[in-house]
Amino acid sequence: MKSLPTVVVDNGAATIKAGLTDGDSEPRLVANAVVRSRGDKTTYFGHEFERCRDYSSLHFRLPFEKGYLVDWDAQKAVWDGLFSAEVLSVNAPESSLLITEPYFNLPNVQDVYDQFVFEEYEFHSYYRCTPASLIPRGDMFTDPFLAPPECMLLVDAGFSFTHVVPILNGSIVWSAVKRIDVGGKLLTNHLKELTSFRQWNMMDETYIMNNVKESCCFISTNYNRDLETCRLDPKKNAIVQEYILPDFATNREGRIRRQDDIVSDGDQILFMNNERFVVPEIIFRPDDIGLQQVGLPATIAHSISLLPEDIQGLFWANIGLIGGSTKFPGFRERLAAELRSLAPVDCEVAIYQSQEPITECYRSALAFVQEPDFQEYCVTRAEYLESGSNACRRKFKDWKLVDEKGKGAAVREPAKPKPRTEDPEESDASPPPKRGGRGRTRTTSTSTRKR
Amino acid sequence: MAPKRGRPSRQTKASTSQLAVDPEIVVKRTRRHLEELERSNYSEPSTAFTLAEDDGGEPSKSARGRARQTISDKRNYDSNGKKKKSTMNIRTALLYRKNLSTLIDESGIANLPSNAPSYLTAVTLPPREPPRLLCSVCGYWGRYKCKKCALPYCDLNCQSVHDETRCERRVV
Repeated sequence: MKSLPTVVVDNGAATIKAGLTDGDSEPRLVANAVVRSRGDKTTYFGHEFERCRDYSSLHFRLPFEKGYLVDWDAQKAVWDGLFSAEVLSVNAPESSLLITEPYFNLPNVQDVYDQFVFEEYEFHSYYRCTPASLIPRGDMFTDPFLAPPECMLLVDAGFSFTHVVPILNGSIVWSAVKRIDVGGKLLTNHLKELTSFRQWNMMDETYIMNNVKESCCFISTNYNRDLETCRLDPKKNAIVQEYILPDFATNREGRIRRQDDIVSDGDQILFMNNERFVVPEIIFRPDDIGLQQVGLPATIAHSISLLPEDIQGLFWANIGLIGGSTKFPGFRERLAAELRSLAPVDCEVAIYQSQEPITECYRSALAFVQEPDFQEYCVTRAEYLESGSNACRRKFKDWKLVDEKGKGAAVREPAKPKPRTEDPEESDASPPPKRGGRGRTRTTSTSTRKR
Repeated sequence: MAPKRGRPSRQTKASTSQLAVDPEIVVKRTRRHLEELERSNYSEPSTAFTLAEDDGGEPSKSARGRARQTISDKRNYDSNGKKKKSTMNIRTALLYRKNLSTLIDESGIANLPSNAPSYLTAVTLPPREPPRLLCSVCGYWGRYKCKKCALPYCDLNCQSVHDETRCERRVV
C-alpha cells in the first residue's frame, strides 16, 4: 500500500499532542478545551487559546470527564480547529490517522470515535490505541548495547488519573493494569483550595494555579523533615517560595520571586510553603485527602504481583515514567526509594524517566506510523462502510472488552496471547524471583535521550 | 455537687468515645470533597456554558428550548465554505451529551465477571494502614480532632481558625 500522510493525535484530556508525518518532529501542543475569557470577552477553541491575553477567571469546558471523552460537541470544536488550515491542514480523505484513547475506554465510547473519524472527518484509514501501547515503538528504553526490553512497566501520570501499565512483548497485560484516581487536575484543584483557604481566593483561577503548581511543586523525599522545616518559620525557611502572581494591568506573567527581585506594593505575593510538596504528595498517599486507594509505589507492586512470577523481576528493572504529572522534581527519587523497599531483595529496580514525558507518546507514535507496515494495523474507511464499528473491534489489537462467554454481536478475535496467567492471587507470596534485567549492571539511571 | 461531677464526666466521655460525629457523615463529606476536586470550574456547572456574549446577543432563550445548539457548528474552518451534513450518529453524539456514569451504565461493564479487566475493576487497592492525620488548617500533623466535625488540627491556633471558618460549613 502506498504510504499516506499520517496524522498523529495524542488526544490528552488536558493537552492534545498532534502532528503530521511530513511535518516537524515536535508536536503541536493544543489545549483540549473550549475556554471562555471574561477579560477578553472571547471564547477560545483549542489552539486559539494561545491568543488568550487575559488569564483571569477563565471558564473551561473540557471534552473529558474523569479521563473519558463525554462532550463530543466540545471535542469536535477543538478537532475542527486542529485539522483546519490554522494548525495542521489535514486533508482527511487522503490521510491516515493515529489517535490515542484512554485506558479501558468504554466500548460505547469507542464506537463514537469510529463514527467521528469515518463519518464526520472521513479519514482514509485510522488506528486507535492507548498511549502506553505506543511506547515500545519509541526509544524510551533504548540502550545502545541491548535489545529493547520484552517487559516494561509504564507509569502514565496524566491530567485525569495515573495508570500503571505492564507491557509484555509489545502488548499491554490488561489484567494487571491498575489505576489511581489522582491526576494533574485533582492536584491543581487541591492546591487551589489550600491557597484559597490560607491566603488568596484563587478558586476561580485554575489556569494561574496550574502554573503555580508546575513551577513550585515538588515531591518530597523526606516528608517528615520537610513538614518540620515548614513549621519553623512560615515566611522564611529552606522550602518556602514567594510566587508573584501575574499582574493583568501591566500584562506581566507570574513567577517565583528571586533574591534580587524588588517587589512593589501592588504586587500580590503567594507564599508557597508546605503546599509545595503536600499537593503532589497525593500521588504517593491518596488517603491524605480521604481517597481510599493506595499510592503509586504500592500500586506498582500490586500490578507486578499480578504478572507471571518468573518474569516479575524484569518488570521491576524496566519502569518508565510518562505523563505530565511525572515532571515534579523528586518524583523519580521518591519512587525509587519506596519501590526499593517493596521489591524483593534480589531484584534490581530501575526507573527510566522520559526527558519530555508529555510528548514521549507522540514521538513513539510518530516512529510507529513511519514503519512500513503501519497500514496493516489500520482500519480503512471502506472496511468501516462495509461492517461499521465491527471492523474496528475486529482489527484493533490494543484495548477492547474481552467477552468471556463469547456472546454479544461483535465478532471478536480470540483473546490476544496473554502471558501464562496462573492464579494471580497466589503470586503475591513471592518466592525469590529471578534477577531482573538479564544481568544488567545498570542501576537506577536516567535514560539519556539523544535528540 | 451533682453538676460538678457531671461536667468532667461528660468531657471525658466526649474524648474517649472520640467523636460525636457519625462516621457516615464523614464518608459523605469526603466523597463530596473528592467530587469537588474533579470539577473544571469553581462556579456554575460547566453545562451552563453559553456563547451569548460573543454571538452578539443572539437570543439564547429560544436556543435553549427544543432545538439545541452546539458550539462546534458555529465554527467553520472550511475555506470553500460548503457545509456537509453530518450523519445521524454524529448529530446524536453532538446533541445529547451523556455523563460518564450514564455511559458506564450503558456500556454494561458492570455485568462482566469480576475478574474481567475493565474500568471498574482496574482501580487500585484500598490502603492497608489508617490514614495519617494532617491539620486541615495549616497542613502540619493534625494531632487533635474537632469534636463537632472530626477534621484534624494541630494546635490551639489552628483550632480557633478551624472553629471560625471551616467547622460549621463543612459538617452539615
